[in-house]
Amino acid sequence: MERVEVHIPSNPIFERVVRASAGEIGEAFGFSVERIEDLKLAVSEAVNNAIEHGNKRETSKPVEVVFALDHEKLEVRISDHGAGVGTLDFSRHVVDERNLEDGMLRGFGSYLISALVDDCEVSSSQTGTVLTLRLYRKGQTQ
Amino acid sequence: MMNAIRREEFGEVVVLHIGTPSVDGVSAAAIEAACADMRPITVLDFSDVSFINSSGISSLLKFVVTARKAGYKLFAMNVSPHHQKIFKMVEMSRFMPTIEERDLAIYR
Repeated sequence: MERVEVHIPSNPIFERVVRASAGEIGEAFGFSVERIEDLKLAVSEAVNNAIEHGNKRETSKPVEVVFALDHEKLEVRISDHGAGVGTLDFSRHVVDERNLEDGMLRGFGSYLISALVDDCEVSSSQTGTVLTLRLYRKGQTQ
Repeated sequence: MMNAIRREEFGEVVVLHIGTPSVDGVSAAAIEAACADMRPITVLDFSDVSFINSSGISSLLKFVVTARKAGYKLFAMNVSPHHQKIFKMVEMSRFMPTIEERDLAIYR
């Protein structure tokens, strides 16, 4: 098992640091270019959720990201120090006429995460939320 | 910081070349500001874009909303295969279909 940890303040600009790290780690793991792009997007969405909805952009609260690699999978744990979430809605969410009319132009992040990784799970309490993403080597189709 | 959008206009067409590689929450406001530059046929050029997340998609949807209100046509150009996949997943492609650069020749 190899681990890489990245801790950032809850400022959206630093999400780009985690995303770049995800790209390098995905390449080191041997993922295809397409799979690396999926990984970067899923991690970006998870980190932005942690910054926005978890830590409420309080820069004193870090977002901690741990990449753990073994022979079969890459696991990414994204932790915040917010008040916790009841549930995360991973259901399919797409652009439609009603959303556009109502000005509801957000909310695609959790759906994209669930669609782009092999599995994900949420653990939440009053002291924070941990989102764990897993991408398996055997899940690589391209 | 580089300009988020470079504007190229001919006739009823405007091509908005997105100049930032990351279409995300950080660049969203600068990109959305270009909604004011839309014309009856508006083309967003993604040739320099290497990353788009859901915050970026939200900013692009502002162009969709503006186009629908004004009766304008909105197209995307030079979208990478990965971003085409993401646009398809969220059904963005229905509201911002892709156009080939050569198809713009008739307007020039």
